[in-house]
Amino acid sequence: MATAHPFPLGPTRRGFVGLTAAGLGALTLASCGTGSGSEEKVDVSTQNVGAMDEYAADMQFTATEPIQISMLWTDWPDVPVEKTWRIFEHIKELTNVELTLTHIPFSDAIEKRSLLISAGDAPTLIPLVYTGEEAAFVSSGAVVPMSDYVDRMPNFQKYVKEWDLAEMVENLRQADGKYYMTPGLQEVSVPVFSLVLRKDVFEEVAGSVPQTWEEVREALVLIKEKHPDAVPLADGFEGQSMLNYAAHAFGTKAGWGFGDGAIDGDGDDLVYAATTEQYRQLVDFFRGLVADGLLDKESFTASNDGSGAASVSEKFAAETCFAASGSSGTAIEFAQALEETVGKGNFEITLVPPPGGPAGDHVEPRNFWHGFMLSSAVTESENFLATLQFVDWLYYSPQAREMLRWGEEGTTYSKSGDGTITLEEGYSLNDFGMNKDAGEDIKIDLGYSTFPAESTESRALKESYSTPEFVQYVDDVLTTRTPRDPFPPAPLDEAELEQASLLATPIKDAVDTATLRFIMGERPMDEWDAYVAELEAAGLPQYMELLNGARARFVEANG
Amino acid sequence: MAPEAAPTTSPRSTTTRIRDSRSYRIFTVVNTTALLLLCAVMLYPFVMLLAQSFSSAGAISAGKVNLLPVDPNLDTYRAVANNDTFWRSYGNTVLYTLIGTSIAMVLTTTYAYVLSKKHLRGRGLLIGIAVFTMFFNGGIVPNYVLISSLGMKNTMWAVILPPALSVFNLLVMKAFFENLPTELEEAAHIDGLGWFGIFFRIVLPLSKAVIATMVLFYSVQYWNDWFAAFLYLDRTDLFPVTLYLRNLIAGASTAASEGAAASGSAVADINANIQSVTMILILVPILCVYPFVQRYFVSGVMLGSVKG
Repeated sequence: MATAHPFPLGPTRRGFVGLTAAGLGALTLASCGTGSGSEEKVDVSTQNVGAMDEYAADMQFTATEPIQISMLWTDWPDVPVEKTWRIFEHIKELTNVELTLTHIPFSDAIEKRSLLISAGDAPTLIPLVYTGEEAAFVSSGAVVPMSDYVDRMPNFQKYVKEWDLAEMVENLRQADGKYYMTPGLQEVSVPVFSLVLRKDVFEEVAGSVPQTWEEVREALVLIKEKHPDAVPLADGFEGQSMLNYAAHAFGTKAGWGFGDGAIDGDGDDLVYAATTEQYRQLVDFFRGLVADGLLDKESFTASNDGSGAASVSEKFAAETCFAASGSSGTAIEFAQALEETVGKGNFEITLVPPPGGPAGDHVEPRNFWHGFMLSSAVTESENFLATLQFVDWLYYSPQAREMLRWGEEGTTYSKSGDGTITLEEGYSLNDFGMNKDAGEDIKIDLGYSTFPAESTESRALKESYSTPEFVQYVDDVLTTRTPRDPFPPAPLDEAELEQASLLATPIKDAVDTATLRFIMGERPMDEWDAYVAELEAAGLPQYMELLNGARARFVEANG
Repeated sequence: MAPEAAPTTSPRSTTTRIRDSRSYRIFTVVNTTALLLLCAVMLYPFVMLLAQSFSSAGAISAGKVNLLPVDPNLDTYRAVANNDTFWRSYGNTVLYTLIGTSIAMVLTTTYAYVLSKKHLRGRGLLIGIAVFTMFFNGGIVPNYVLISSLGMKNTMWAVILPPALSVFNLLVMKAFFENLPTELEEAAHIDGLGWFGIFFRIVLPLSKAVIATMVLFYSVQYWNDWFAAFLYLDRTDLFPVTLYLRNLIAGASTAASEGAAASGSAVADINANIQSVTMILILVPILCVYPFVQRYFVSGVMLGSVKG
């Protein structure tokens, strides 16, 4: 039998060198294909095939000749996109624009989007972009600097002004002074997550729904007296949700809303939120709640993926918990759980505005919703102007917004004199429990009320599909709370971004760990200075220097 | 591939039956227990998945389902069976696996056979080209650009061709061919066969073991692959079932964990029972391949083929 030969892995030296050279050559070639470098503003008016001459705000956009616009479409697993969806046909009828879709699965949508943009292969319209996500694509020149062209977008202009969003739009500017996405505009924006509580129990022990964290605390003490086995307050999102909305009332930021951690200092400079006195107060307050057995420790460590919330709803059902973080949807879940145990009519559960605190009745700054970017290839298209007009119509005109949410007036829905919208018979929207299971679902079967419907919303449109409880919540927040001023922007350039993310990660990890240990009582509060020193050792001064440099640059460029 | 040494030296192989020694019996007990435990650990998730697939969604989310189904029903299977997208993707996966494995086998066997011939000029270079790709690759974006410029984007070839030659499999096969006795080929040569004749009529029939193994490796690879499809396909009607499944499962958990950013937007609400039925249906065919291929793993094919 022949003996086995060892793998002759070693190619000859000459062969190897040749191969390496060939490989490098291929890489160089490949890298030449993408990125068109810095963008010169193009003269849009010459690329006006299909565009309307007299296009203005609140006007129906109809391309003067049929055009096609490619669009990225995220496939939600429970809403398979159908080419036959009425929405696409309807948009075509209205605008003469045929949308051609590039599908990306929801599970890895962000990765695929990055890939398509990096490879220079992205469709024209890139939707579902949240503010901040565009930063990564700025330097490559792969996306259109929208700020150069918003003068061609009358609806955008109009509603930014009408809804008083101009300052927030200015804050979208990147290091080069331009902004690269236009966001979904919200006429009113309220915190989605706040405190969900047993209104009946709070009213019974404390007389009313608590308006400040101090009142929350007092009420929790009374509840605890009545239900000694209960730990009345919980979060269910590793504390990230509760710290987020509480931080605003304490004049700092924390949890989900921590972001880059930079916050206005006393002087002109930014300071790191987690080292401020306000942050210490916030941590100390929750530490007090834990020490008195009022705050469920388990829910502060339970995972953030939603599974933590399930156990909180079990605790609600068992009446060992009476207040927790959540959205209007969470309130419904808790109510369903309570119906099983306590019984319908024996409880009242609501989402209440985030309590006020030492810094006042502040809630989070107003927000944008997801918007879009345009792939820079469109700047060379003869349809560039028409595309700008189309996306302006689609994203910002009230008629288009209503169409994306509800479909066709007179067919799928009707509108009464006071603006109330009702679905026509034979159409349902199961997501919001409307006309359940009656004939065609306007989302699943026709494509309305899918993600494009979410972006820009007037207050009336938002209320048209919300539950009466949520409408009440919105009203409560708007009348009794003040949104904070937007956080000062400090856009970093490409090199700084990389450096900042390297520095920020260990610092943020240290903050998260220490915050939790302080709150849980595992670390004494007199170690606060030691904790600040740890952050400094982890590179906080360099990190803040980066941010403050960028901040100064931004102020100089934009005033 | 060198045949595994069979445990021919165990005490049981003697013809006159003698009592096993005490230490051997202890060994057997410990060994069996350990293997059974390992087996249980491996099987547990499958059994649980199976139980979930026959249970109601409510029972699963309440955490009641363990090894036996609760409220057993076939509704979920019926629901998934009526889902056109699922079957379309399933069909794609079967197609990609069949075509992909066939192409991969042709490429691998022929390339490996050539490489196994020591007298081949430029053999080092040919091996070098293959091995180079084991250590270096262009990265995702260049690969994407390459596939697009070759015009394979949004065709099944984007999923089938790039992984059609696994260098690892190639080297294993090359080693196997090198171990074939050269005398057999020489004999065939003297009897008048050309290289192709030798390859098809002598070498391949003698290589059933390694071919079966490679078929298994490749088909599992094609069956499980979702990444290539994710990268190169953006038409849902071409998606393989793994991408569909990934969207179903990862999509649901991403939606939940992005509560902060995307709260309020439609959250993917896929019930656990649908997820498990889908997983079971995807697992079954590829699990069925194993028993058929397994007998080739224990290979005695070569024994006794050369005398003298």
